[in-house]
Amino acid sequence: MKEIKGTPGSAALFLFLAGLLCVFSGKSFLDMHRPEPIFPRPGLSEIKKLGDYLPALQDSAGDTDVYVFRGKEKGGNLLAVGGTHPNEPAGLVTTVLLIETIRAVRGDIFIIPRANASGFTHSDPQEGNPQRFSISTPAGPRRFRLGSRLTNPVDQWPDPAVYMNPPGQKLSGNEARNLNRCYPGRAKGHLTEKIAFGIMELIRKEKIDIAIDFHESAPEYPVINAIVFHENSAELAALAVMELQAAGIEIRLEASPVGLRGLSHREWGDEAGIKVLLLETPNASHGRLKGRPSSSLVVEGRDKFYARAARLGWLFVPFGEEGIPLSQRVARHLAAISALLKSLAELEPDKAIAMEGMPPSADVQQKGLGVFLHPPLKGT
Amino acid sequence: MPEWLVFLFMVAVFVLLAMAAKFPIGIALALSALAGALFAGDGPSPRHLVEGAFGYFDTILIILTATIFIKVLQDAGILDTMTSLMLRTFYRSKILLLLAAMVILIFPGMLTGSSTAAILSSGPLVAPVMMKLGLSRLKTGALVAMGGILGMIAPPVNILIMIMGAGVDMPYVGLTRPLLMLVVPLAVVIPLVIGYKDLKIINRSDLLSILPPSLGPKYRFRLAVPFLVLVFLMVAPGATAGAVPDVGIPGVFLFAALVGLACGRPVNVLKVTQKAIDESLPILAILAGVGMFIQVMTMTGARGWTVISVLSLPSFLLYLGISLSLPAFGGVSTFGSASILGIPFILALISKNALLTSSSLSAITSLGDLVPPAAISARFAAQVVGEPNFFKILRYCLVPALLQLAAGIGMLLLAPFLDKVV
Repeated sequence: MKEIKGTPGSAALFLFLAGLLCVFSGKSFLDMHRPEPIFPRPGLSEIKKLGDYLPALQDSAGDTDVYVFRGKEKGGNLLAVGGTHPNEPAGLVTTVLLIETIRAVRGDIFIIPRANASGFTHSDPQEGNPQRFSISTPAGPRRFRLGSRLTNPVDQWPDPAVYMNPPGQKLSGNEARNLNRCYPGRAKGHLTEKIAFGIMELIRKEKIDIAIDFHESAPEYPVINAIVFHENSAELAALAVMELQAAGIEIRLEASPVGLRGLSHREWGDEAGIKVLLLETPNASHGRLKGRPSSSLVVEGRDKFYARAARLGWLFVPFGEEGIPLSQRVARHLAAISALLKSLAELEPDKAIAMEGMPPSADVQQKGLGVFLHPPLKGT
Repeated sequence: MPEWLVFLFMVAVFVLLAMAAKFPIGIALALSALAGALFAGDGPSPRHLVEGAFGYFDTILIILTATIFIKVLQDAGILDTMTSLMLRTFYRSKILLLLAAMVILIFPGMLTGSSTAAILSSGPLVAPVMMKLGLSRLKTGALVAMGGILGMIAPPVNILIMIMGAGVDMPYVGLTRPLLMLVVPLAVVIPLVIGYKDLKIINRSDLLSILPPSLGPKYRFRLAVPFLVLVFLMVAPGATAGAVPDVGIPGVFLFAALVGLACGRPVNVLKVTQKAIDESLPILAILAGVGMFIQVMTMTGARGWTVISVLSLPSFLLYLGISLSLPAFGGVSTFGSASILGIPFILALISKNALLTSSSLSAITSLGDLVPPAAISARFAAQVVGEPNFFKILRYCLVPALLQLAAGIGMLLLAPFLDKVV
């Protein structure tokens, strides 16, 4: 093969092209550091920071807002976590919807919409995702970031060859940046372990009784449309599933595997002894079979390749041409919250938690998300 | 725009630029990615091109720092000394020599899960010995490439399985036995297949005539220090549960290279670094180009089309699909292949023992390291033995690769019986 020789001219040309790439791409990468505004309902008691629970996180890329709604009546305490994986938008949108609609009546409610704040500041290489997605509201589109499953390498780097997480499980190196593999965290560990430790501190200091971690999974992943429960929450989960099924919502129960360590549904229960549930809904936009990624794929959830995969029997969830829209996924999360809180009140009345204002799941599914979200600020 | 058309267009542009216009492969890949984005109506998409290229940032750093490490060892005279030592130890028995060579080749891959790290760190030790004892340059390259690939799948660290396991919530435990069942027979048979016929037994006087100059008498134990540092930094973080910090594989190579500067003949750091960059730049450009290519494939839906096309194969063709698509996609990215195709295949075979399934799929996927355009193992093996055309080395990898493929498929087919053993 003929060798092409470099010349000062070709070097200058490539430097110029590289400079152009840096300028244009750098602008869009920096834009990911601009968080989407959240408009809490007046019933909000205070906004704390995760750094309040672990000072080492203060002013770091891992610090994040904790929205606190305190009820007038005494009851249990709930922690709702979204954005553990910023490429699973139903987690973020469900928690934002809660912040913008609810008022606590009984017990205290703590909501973290962007658990891995650093993960929202970049997107996964080679996934070709849009950096933001838009939800239509009557006042115009509301835009949210679609981040990465992992902490931004700008904030935590390099990855080890093999990551041994705090409970001692060996994982591939980049899982060191996966918040849901780093529990119960390390106070002096790397950034993602500190975030995990900060959440554990919140659970301990705020005497959380029940925690819900909102996720999504690719339609080809077996744990989907499911509640994953720690064994100490088995009865609660079973009651909630019966409640959901009675309302016509099919959902699976999955026990947290004892040998799978570092995940919220295992370590929150083991370390803090609280009831813990992880919810999964099907998200075509982060699967391996997805077609062209776009805001519409995230929000409308239609994908012809997934529809074909479903016909071929490759999926663990029904997936038709109409897709599975974000409103339906968020509605499932909301229905699960209602069912879990109702079941908790039955099982442990003194730990009951009550809120008002949360949009009914059926309404969200029918009317869409935009009706319930706060209108966007002008120019956003 | 149909996704298949975008994919075909990108491939056509790549072939045109790389084969007809003789562009360097990396630049041809980058330009075909750009062309694909424009053809699909997405504009130049600078953010996607940069983001895709950064998918291999860590691999690029590993390759660069490993090359610097080797150049330091070469210029410091440490490699010649080690070659001399190996020749003196093993020149009497070709079986022992071949097996020892394979163990040395596999070892760094076992610790890092990276075939590149294995080839670039132990290849330069083994290759001169083999060539001096009569093994052709091409066969030596094949031995080095296969050693790197076996190292990549050998326990305790198999990153391909870690990636696939993460997609199906399978913890990385209980894999040592199935992986050893695959790797040990291959590690015995493959070196013998490649080298037994050609390797010569020589007498002591012949040995003395081919021995490279050794700095052993002058520097003695110091010469081994860079290797000890390398192994220590690879092993210690895991062995001490994090008490020794993990500096990442690029950091390990860089630190060992710095130590190497003080362990042999004086080395001109600037020249060594320039030489390393000069040698590694083509493959670094290929990796960046491959990253851009995949990103644009995904962005335009062409990746999804490719995956669903493979999964649409009738079930009786499943094993054929596994045999062809995993290595073929690995030609673009082995780790990408494990994630994008390996996970659906594990799920398709969910009725079998997952430890056996993932082990065999990792053995098949790892063969992607031999498949162009990236063909990372073959390229680096070619670089190690000084062969400009890596395709010539691939010829001698064919039989060993087919053996490995057969072992992988055999394990899948025999999984119901092997289930009782593991």
